[in-house]
Amino acid sequence: MRTRWTEAQKEATEKDVLPSWHATRKRRRVLAGAGGAAIAMVWSGTVVSWNLAPSDTAMYWTISLLVLAVLIALPVITVLNAATRGTVSLAERDLDERQVAERLRAHAVAHRAMLVLLAVVVVAVLGVPGDRGTFIPMAAIVMGVVSLFLTHLLMPVLVAGWRQPDPPPDDEETA
Amino acid sequence: MPVKAGSKAGKEKADKENVHNRIAVLRAERGVSRRELATALGVHYQTIGYLERGEYSPSLHLALRIAGFFEVPVEVVFSLEPFPRLGST
Repeated sequence: MRTRWTEAQKEATEKDVLPSWHATRKRRRVLAGAGGAAIAMVWSGTVVSWNLAPSDTAMYWTISLLVLAVLIALPVITVLNAATRGTVSLAERDLDERQVAERLRAHAVAHRAMLVLLAVVVVAVLGVPGDRGTFIPMAAIVMGVVSLFLTHLLMPVLVAGWRQPDPPPDDEETA
Repeated sequence: MPVKAGSKAGKEKADKENVHNRIAVLRAERGVSRRELATALGVHYQTIGYLERGEYSPSLHLALRIAGFFEVPVEVVFSLEPFPRLGST
């Protein structure tokens, strides 16, 4: 059953939010890069917490990086969702076959990238010197989980935005 | 399988599996806008644009529905060989 929320979501993706921000492929790729930088900031927070927590320095740096990442990620994701017309955010029943194919491609690439990232995390964690009694700050574990969650959540839309070719002009615009 | 041209590999694949079409010509001839055609076919209007630009090859189902919309055989709309230019012999 179609809810009012999904209808509103679909309408929102058809609105041209900040069209100049995503008018060209280069700009969309800059946005995707900014989204990637936001994800990197959250991971930096994890590294800071791992090395400096528990301390005030760790807390201030981690919170600052997290807030900055959210401030960058929110507009980036909103604009990329508008640019891709909700290819990765709408329900599959609201997409046509081209959009479904693009969504599957974006998810496949994001899945591969996530797999590489997980491998890097495993190597990094196993490479930490110490034994079973090594102290790991709880803040670092929490930030690590948050980083994984955000990366998993944002990667598909960043990939879709990066891959999106320039859309054909609307025939109403060209008339 | 539908092919979306995006990456270099995607473009090479699309070149190999390129399906030429006359959607833009038929649309202009019948005075149908992209949005009207998209609405009739139940696809996004940008998909019609990508089809016309040859950046997306439709599924057999969509190809048959496009041909059905214009009431012509599917080979009138789609071809593996480029269509001759209008006026050429």
